[in-house]
Amino acid sequence: MKSIFKGILGAIIGFVVGAGGLSLIRLATGLEPWKREPGIVIGYLFALTGWLLGVGVWDYWARGWFGLPVRKYEVTGWRRYFNFDPDHKVIGIQYLVTLVVMMLIAGLFAMVMRAELMNPGRDFLDPKEYNNIMSLHGMFMIMVAVTVISGAFGNYMVPLLIGAEDMAFPRLNALSYWLTPVVPILLLTSLAFQGWDSGWTGYAPLSVTNESGQIFYNLGFMTLGLSGILGAVNFLTTIIALRAPGMTWGRLPIFVWSIFSTAILSLLATNFVFVVLLLVLLDRIAGMGFFDAARGGNPILYQHLFWFYSHPAVYVMALPGFGAALEVIPHFSRKPLFAYRWAVAGFLGIVILSFTVWAHHMFTSGMSENPLPFMVTTELISIPTGFIFLAALGTIWLGRLWLKTPMLFGLAVIFNFLIGGITGIYLADVPVDLQLQDTFWVVAHFHYTIVSTQIFGLMTAIYYWFPKFTGRMYDERLGKLHFWWMFITFNTTFTPMFWLGIQGMNRRVAQYLPEFGDLNRWVSLSAFLMGASFLVFLYNLVYSWARGPQAESNPWKARTLEWQTSSPPPHENFPREPEVIGDPYDYGVPGSVHALIPVSGGSTDGDVVATSVALYPND
Amino acid sequence: MKRDFFFAGLLWIVLTFAGITLVSQINLFPLSAAHEADIIDEAFLFLTLLGVPVFAFVLVGLIYSVIRFRQPGEMPEDGPPIRTSRPVTWAWLGITSALAVFIIFNPGLKGIRELTANREPDLVVQVEMRKWNWTFSYPQYGVAVVDAQELVLPVDRHIRFEVTSTDIIHSFWIPAFRMKVDAVPGQINILYATPTETGSFEDDINLRAQCAELCGTGHPRMRAGLRILESAEFEAWVAGQAAGSP
Amino acid sequence: MNTASLQHKRYSRLNINRLGLWLFILSESGIFAALLFTRFYLLGLERASDLNQTIGLIITSILLISSLTAYRAESAIAHEDRETFLRSILVTILLGAAFLIGVGIEWSQAFVHFPPSGLFGTVFFTMTGMHAFHVLTGLILLALLYSNGRREAYSVEDHWGPEAVVKYWHFVDVVWVFFYPALYLVS
Ligand SMILES: [Cu+2]
Ligand SMILES: [Cu+2]
Repeated sequence: MKSIFKGILGAIIGFVVGAGGLSLIRLATGLEPWKREPGIVIGYLFALTGWLLGVGVWDYWARGWFGLPVRKYEVTGWRRYFNFDPDHKVIGIQYLVTLVVMMLIAGLFAMVMRAELMNPGRDFLDPKEYNNIMSLHGMFMIMVAVTVISGAFGNYMVPLLIGAEDMAFPRLNALSYWLTPVVPILLLTSLAFQGWDSGWTGYAPLSVTNESGQIFYNLGFMTLGLSGILGAVNFLTTIIALRAPGMTWGRLPIFVWSIFSTAILSLLATNFVFVVLLLVLLDRIAGMGFFDAARGGNPILYQHLFWFYSHPAVYVMALPGFGAALEVIPHFSRKPLFAYRWAVAGFLGIVILSFTVWAHHMFTSGMSENPLPFMVTTELISIPTGFIFLAALGTIWLGRLWLKTPMLFGLAVIFNFLIGGITGIYLADVPVDLQLQDTFWVVAHFHYTIVSTQIFGLMTAIYYWFPKFTGRMYDERLGKLHFWWMFITFNTTFTPMFWLGIQGMNRRVAQYLPEFGDLNRWVSLSAFLMGASFLVFLYNLVYSWARGPQAESNPWKARTLEWQTSSPPPHENFPREPEVIGDPYDYGVPGSVHALIPVSGGSTDGDVVATSVALYPND
Repeated sequence: MKRDFFFAGLLWIVLTFAGITLVSQINLFPLSAAHEADIIDEAFLFLTLLGVPVFAFVLVGLIYSVIRFRQPGEMPEDGPPIRTSRPVTWAWLGITSALAVFIIFNPGLKGIRELTANREPDLVVQVEMRKWNWTFSYPQYGVAVVDAQELVLPVDRHIRFEVTSTDIIHSFWIPAFRMKVDAVPGQINILYATPTETGSFEDDINLRAQCAELCGTGHPRMRAGLRILESAEFEAWVAGQAAGSP
Repeated sequence: MNTASLQHKRYSRLNINRLGLWLFILSESGIFAALLFTRFYLLGLERASDLNQTIGLIITSILLISSLTAYRAESAIAHEDRETFLRSILVTILLGAAFLIGVGIEWSQAFVHFPPSGLFGTVFFTMTGMHAFHVLTGLILLALLYSNGRREAYSVEDHWGPEAVVKYWHFVDVVWVFFYPALYLVS
């Protein structure tokens, strides 16, 4: 806990220094000393620096820059999770818990929204309050969706899957994590300043002219971006440089490929949204005019820069979910991953194409650019996406399907995304988009893409790797109950929204025409049921983590490396570095071995081969 | 294995047929009141008809496999070690690419061309949106309706809407026309439509102008009724407006 | 903790650090690409006529020269020449500070001719401000190098710190090579 206390102290000192310093400068130049928005922004900049220094940067890094000995916290047990800890397994758990809590909070916001939408008129929220809740739900979920699988399982599993001891930059990894708890706190603080009502997209000029709560969205999103960039640098370096001997690109587990592709997107795109959020802040606090048409600015600029990040971000959300599903499906089909190379090509094709499609969000904006190229690239991106379906279907076809909870969730990713993908084609078609844009069709479509990949993918990953990261087994019956409950209610909640969209209900409204009342009531009731399914999940997660039966080290008899070490793995992951000699998914291939793992203590150094055992060889 | 392909294929054909029948039986669309709306509905329907077999294909692949290949009980033996299949992968690539390219041309390009074919308006209507009100002006008649509750249009005339905003971004949407365009400060966005039916908001809720872009507190209530009149009635209405306004 | 044994044969710790730094720089260039896009999207090829071209030219030259002195510092420490290393770092710091002073003078004139409330001012102050912020960060890092260099913290084998800071400094210079024509020359 020392980390957190020091961090909070640092943040307070930082805020006082930053905001106070600004006030002094303003006073010296003859302005009124305190102006709210510049004060908060500058104060936050220093507070964030103070927080990071306090939480661990000073002890782990900065002392070294001044010639002092670097300090490490020697904490053990549960306290490690409340400290700045460079171990990738600790960081993975930290991400997992933080973001699952955020997801549940975001779910509560969704319940509040659906409660208001039970009836067409005003029930208990006025439109302004509704917009604030809607924005919070959106941004919380966006944060969860871009972070949770790569933050939790990317961190925990990638080093294990590639046979490494840790990430390439362990301290930087801890730094990326300790930026994340700041974001939800900022977003919630906005409520103390009338909230922000511009949604997770924060379109200018609305976001330049609304209440001060807006700046917390901008600062929070920018902080999230910084964390994402540092994480991306770490993932890319780790996957490029720390693969065990013999772990060639062609033998890389598919989940690692998905994290690799995701990291490329985050690395290259995030700073564009960073800039556009900064420009909005400058318009607000420095009187600049980027988005003020009266002074020659252009509101459409916001959308270009925003979507140049935020479309790739859609794939930052989707690819890890695909990766988790494709990782699980071969293990539970007892068959090699079908067309592995095509699946990889699918990921990389999506990465390249996703930088060329951003303006498909702007077909109705009257942008001066021709919409045609964006329609073309958007419809072409369905080709690499199709490879992922090819790999999934080809793997289960003629397989021996073991329908455990993670497998069910993995298959649900494929099924739900099928609906999300097909309904996206309508939005990519310029004429049809003129009608469907900004209707409930869009709401249904992006929940079918993002929830289906990231949230169902998260469940896939949690259930699949649960025995690995907890050392205990979850309750299979509750897992199946959770699956069917969530899968059915998810579909009954979001399918009717397509119909609402066709019938002309626009999105982001607290009140709507009475004609849409019946269907909305159905959607709300179904949404409450879907929300309730998470109670089963939560109970299973918490109870099994604390009290579940001890798990074997490899309960799924899977071939990949993370299962060839104890559960949970020791600090250094493997007793000695594994040597990869074959493909990860070669189920049923006679004599195929994925890796040799020298048993430690069996002999002296240099005598590796003699003591090698192939853990879980076929036959 | 041959039997599996046969039954799955059969299931696929049956589901596709059932899906197409369903789509053509139910009435997908609300009231259409413009020539352009029919073009867009046609595109929507065409995409649905193409989507049904694709959806059914993946669905059958999933459901058939889950039912036919599931192994109850403890961990099953390893399955057949099929790593990939050249004909299947290339056929997949060929078919999905052909579909993707096809829909770019039809309904994509075709629809865009049809919507933008006629750029010679019979009537110009200027739409000015602001938080949270509308001004509709008819420059050819020298008439402007400020803080309008209702948008009045003549039937069977090709109308050019010139849409702009004075504060933040709004969006001008008429559901019965199936089209919207954003109202962006500092620029004038164009939308063409030819009403084909008379009627008003009281007859059908799709006859309305609705703000479709989040614009703050008043957003959900930012709409105006739409009344489409016979040509003569419209002339009378517009003359009345001209006389009424100073 | 057998870190060394598990770390890669093909990638030394130094090479891992280098890879990470290059990736970070690649990401960071997105900021400047976005600002360049903004500049041309809003203004086309327009530019304010009353920019002080003399100052622009002087500060550009100063920054380019500072890249050379930074390079000299890096190669000096790689050859165990601490004397030259420290001197070159100091000169680089002075040149960087001179650049910032130049930007300050340009800003004080720009406030009169095209204040940040106008469109060109908006773009000009944001772009030069973002770049100057990076220069300032570089100066702080260079100052750290100098103080650590005096404590003889770097050696032929271990001078990743100087290498990283100098690479970053080159990057900041390269950004200016794009910004300078975009702000001062196009029309
Ligand atoms: Cu997109
Ligand atoms: Cu509006």
